[in-house]
This record gives sequence, structure tokens and C-alpha cells, in this order.
Amino acid sequence: MSELLTLIAAGLEVGSLYALMALGLVLIYRTQSIVNFAHGELLMAGAFVGYVAFQPMSWPFPVALVLAVLSSTLLGVAVERVVIRPLVNHPHATLAMATVGVSVAVRGAARLPFGSDILTFPPIISAAPVFIGSLVISAQTVLTIVLAVSISVAVFLLIWKTRLGREIRATQQNYLGAKVVGINTGKIYSSSWAVASAIGGAAGVLAAPLTLLYPDMGATFLLKGFAAAVLGGFGNPLGAIVGGIAIGILEKLVGAYFSTYLIEISPYVIIIVVVFVRPQGLFGRGQIVRV
Amino acid sequence: MRPAIVIFLLLLLLFAPFVLDAYTQYLVNLALSYSLVCLGLNLLLGYAGQFSFANAAFMGIGAYTYALLTSRLGVPSLVALPAAGMAATALGMVVAGPALRLSTVYLAMTSLAFAELVQWTFIHWSAVTLGTDGVRVRWPAVGSYVAQGDKNTFYVVLVVVAISYWSALRIVRSKLGRAFLAIRQGETLARCSGIDVERTKTIAYAISAFYAGIGGALFALTIRFIVPDGFGLVQLVLQFSMVLIGGLGSLLGGLVGSLLLTVMPELLRNVEAYQEMLYGVLLVLFVIFMPRGIVGLLGRLGLVPQEILVRGAVAYFDARRRKHSGL
Repeated sequence: MSELLTLIAAGLEVGSLYALMALGLVLIYRTQSIVNFAHGELLMAGAFVGYVAFQPMSWPFPVALVLAVLSSTLLGVAVERVVIRPLVNHPHATLAMATVGVSVAVRGAARLPFGSDILTFPPIISAAPVFIGSLVISAQTVLTIVLAVSISVAVFLLIWKTRLGREIRATQQNYLGAKVVGINTGKIYSSSWAVASAIGGAAGVLAAPLTLLYPDMGATFLLKGFAAAVLGGFGNPLGAIVGGIAIGILEKLVGAYFSTYLIEISPYVIIIVVVFVRPQGLFGRGQIVRV
Repeated sequence: MRPAIVIFLLLLLLFAPFVLDAYTQYLVNLALSYSLVCLGLNLLLGYAGQFSFANAAFMGIGAYTYALLTSRLGVPSLVALPAAGMAATALGMVVAGPALRLSTVYLAMTSLAFAELVQWTFIHWSAVTLGTDGVRVRWPAVGSYVAQGDKNTFYVVLVVVAISYWSALRIVRSKLGRAFLAIRQGETLARCSGIDVERTKTIAYAISAFYAGIGGALFALTIRFIVPDGFGLVQLVLQFSMVLIGGLGSLLGGLVGSLLLTVMPELLRNVEAYQEMLYGVLLVLFVIFMPRGIVGLLGRLGLVPQEILVRGAVAYFDARRRKHSGL
């Protein structure tokens, strides 16, 4: 029993990171109907900046986190402004190619200073583990889950309770309509990317101690994020979070009770199965396109 | 192009091995194999307008099928080549068939998952694929004749590429090719014109996988040693860049792009970081500034005759862009 609970706690930890990843993907998708294949690199950039600030510079963790979030945000906004904005009304295929190009270019740029070596990120806090009954959870896990939950809550508050959130939602619902009522849709594009990239950067720093640091780390998270988003019905923020946590827990259970090989391929299998069986995801509605 | 010019160019190519040194010959073979992989990608992406991540995986399936059939089972090259194409098509259909019925986003993600799964299989199914050790490929043999050395394999590659391009040209100019373009320009409109969209997309996917598979087989027999890493995301981005730089929706474009980008990486060989940055940045620059690629530009300048069908598509793209920039 306690083994199962420990697994679930570990699943919650990684799952909350997948959820953050999926949340960022969904935000961008809702605003510009773009699937951002460079989202993994935003996470990777955040993780590396966080690493440099936390390890060689040995600045305190909050400073590293803020720096990582800031740099991911800058990168994301720059990508949107320079690459995406000129292409925003082009077909999906064009946009997808552009984001794939960005993804590989950023990966190459990260390889210049860091090489293809695998770096390790020490645990953020070395506090004593938390005991809940017979269950022992490391402070690191607790911190990751708490931070991930607060980030998600903050994003939901931003979307549902602020003026910016209302404008983002308006742009998502009807681009032309939003323009007509005087919303600066260009600003909304930038802020959607800023929010999504900030989430990605934070996820990167939180993921770094858990996985390892290498320029290709974004790809794994991107696929898990996709799997989470697809499972939740692509385009549904709440679904993305539930999907991410579900995948995290499932992954740990499968790894413990079946085979660790399956952890690697679980996101691919989930994507394919969901698309075949229930393409609208757990929470999505069927697609209706008005001609 | 006029048949006379094509035949003249082909004859000229026949003499290439007498002029080129061994290394340049190898590069030419490599570029020709890539041009076939790009042909597959171009039919799907440039003509039918479907975005898929699976092309590098199809190429890998073709390469592995050919390599394993010839070197481990001793199957003749002439049987293994079409088998490579068919294996890619068959596996592609299993995964993509249902995904094609959904929106573009789902095809993109399903094919990404499929591509990763294929690469994972190459690495971990080591009983068959020899895992990360890679597979050695023998020189191709036709009957009792063994095409030893790059200069002799060149003719094998050339014949396969010529037949493939000829058949692709026939496809593009047929009713089916026009249906591809119609779907790219608007699925609803295509459906209203009586085109069975799902069926046509599936056919486009199958044909594209077939060419990519054959291209992969040629790649294997040119490079003579294949490893799973060779068919990952970087490979795919290289192919995107080739098609885009050469010219989307132009058969000539894939050829031009693969020639250019096969030679260029040789200048920055073994520096993975620079290669990735080069492909990535080139891809983005061409998407934004020259979406019709080099052949598109030459066509606009009147240096290359544009096919009627493609001209229609260019007009469509320009109109679309004007419409949206006025928003």
C-alpha cells in the first residue's frame, strides 16, 4: 500500500511538470491555432539558465527560478514576434515547419556552450522528508508539486479574473471580433506566448533536478506534454492539467509493475491510442467546423 | 521540361562517373537518394499540403528493410528495393490511416509519436535491427553482377531515381495530382468538387511513404552503414529544409534542395551544433521570406517553366497573403 502511495506521489511530481508543459502548449494553440513544436526548447532554455544561476554562480534558488522564467519568456516572445507573427495566417504545415526549425536551431545553440554532455542539477532543498502516515515524501517532491500547483492556479486566475485574461479569451474566441472591439491582438499574441513560455521555463527549472540536463531534454517533455494535452482534449487547459497528472502517475505505475522500457514509449502509445479511440480527448467536445 | 532536354541531361549524367572523383561520386549518389526521400515528402507536404513528422521514419524503415533483407537474409537487391518501399507504406498506413481523418494537428502529433516509436524500435529491437551497433550494407547486386564501388552503384541509384521521378511526374499531372492540390487549397472546396478527401489523403500518404522508403533503401546502399540515430528529428529537419529550399510543390525543387544541402553539410561535418543551427535557421528564413524556394524564385524570374498546376497554387498563396496582410 505504501509502495503504491509512494509511486503515486512520484507520479504526481512528474505529472505536474507534464501538466505545466501541456498548459503552455494549449495556451498557444488556443490563441493562434499553432502547435508549438519548439515548446520543449523553452523548457530546456529555462532549465539551463536555472542551472547556470544555481550551480556555477551558486545564487539562491528563487533567483535562479526568476532568471530562468525571465529568459524563457524573452525567448518565447522573441520567437513569436520574429518567426510566428509574419506567418500567423499561413497554413498549419508552414507554421509547424517554422516551429520545428526554431526548435532545432535553439537546440544547436545550446550545444555550443554545454556540449552534448549530461549535467546534473542538485536537489533544490535539502530539508528533511515529509512523513504522512507511513508514507515518506522527499521535500523536493513536495516543493515541486506545490510550485506547479501554484503556477497553474496563477495562470487560471490570470485567464479568468484579469482584464488581460478576458482579452486573451476574446482573441481566442474570435480574432476579428476582438480586433473590432479594440483589443490589441498583437499584444495578446505576445502575452500568450509570454505566459506559455514562462510556464515552460518554470517547468524546466523544476524538472532539472528530476531528470538530467542536456540539450535534447526538451523533446521528451514536448512529447509528454503533447500526450497530456491530447488526453485532455487538445485546447482544454483543465484537461491538459488532468491529462498531465494522469500520464505522470500512469508512467510510474507502468514502470514499477511492468517494465521501465515502457516509460519511454508510454507518451507515444498514449497519443496514438487516444487519437484512434477518442480523438476529442477526455474533456474535449467533438470538432464542428463551420464552412 | 521538354523530353529532349531531360534525355540530354540523363545522358550527361551517365558519363558522370568518368569525370568525378570517388568522393564527389559518393556525394552525388547521396544527393540522389535524398532527392527520392524529398520526393516523398514533397508529394505529401508540397502537393497535398499535409504536415507529417513521419518522413524520416519512413526513410528509416526503408533503409532498415533493405539493409536487413539483403545482408541478413540474402534477398536480392532488386526484390529488397520495392520491399523497402512497401514496408514503409504498410507501417505508415497502420498509424496514419485513422489520423488522416482528423484535423492536421492530430496528424502532426500522431506522426511525431509514430516517428519516435519507430526510432525506439530500431534501438531496442536489437535481435533484429542490431540496435545501436548499426547494420552494414553490401554493395547492390543485379543478378550475378555486383555493383562494387560508388561509381557502379551510381547507375543503380540513377535508374531507380529516374523511374521514380518519371512516375511521380505522371502522378502529379494526373487527376489524382490535381486532387492533391485541390485538397491543399481547401478541403471543403475539394469535397464540394466531388473529391473523396479521406481516400485521396490516404493515397497521398501511401505514395509519399513508398518514395521515402525507396529513398531510404538507396540511402542505405550509398552510405553502407546505418544506425538508428540517422533517422531522428535532425534528419527530418534536414529533409524539410531540402524541400523548402528547393521548392515546395515542385518536383524539380526536391532535387535542387537535396543537391544543395548534401554538399553544404560537408563543409561543417561532425559539428552537430552548427548543422542543427544551420538547418533550423535556413528552414525558418525560407518559410518566412521565400516559401516557394529556389525553384519558385527561378520560375518567377522566368528561368524555369512553371507547371500550370503549380502556377495556380502560387496565385492562391499570393492572394491569401494579400488578403491577410490587409486585415
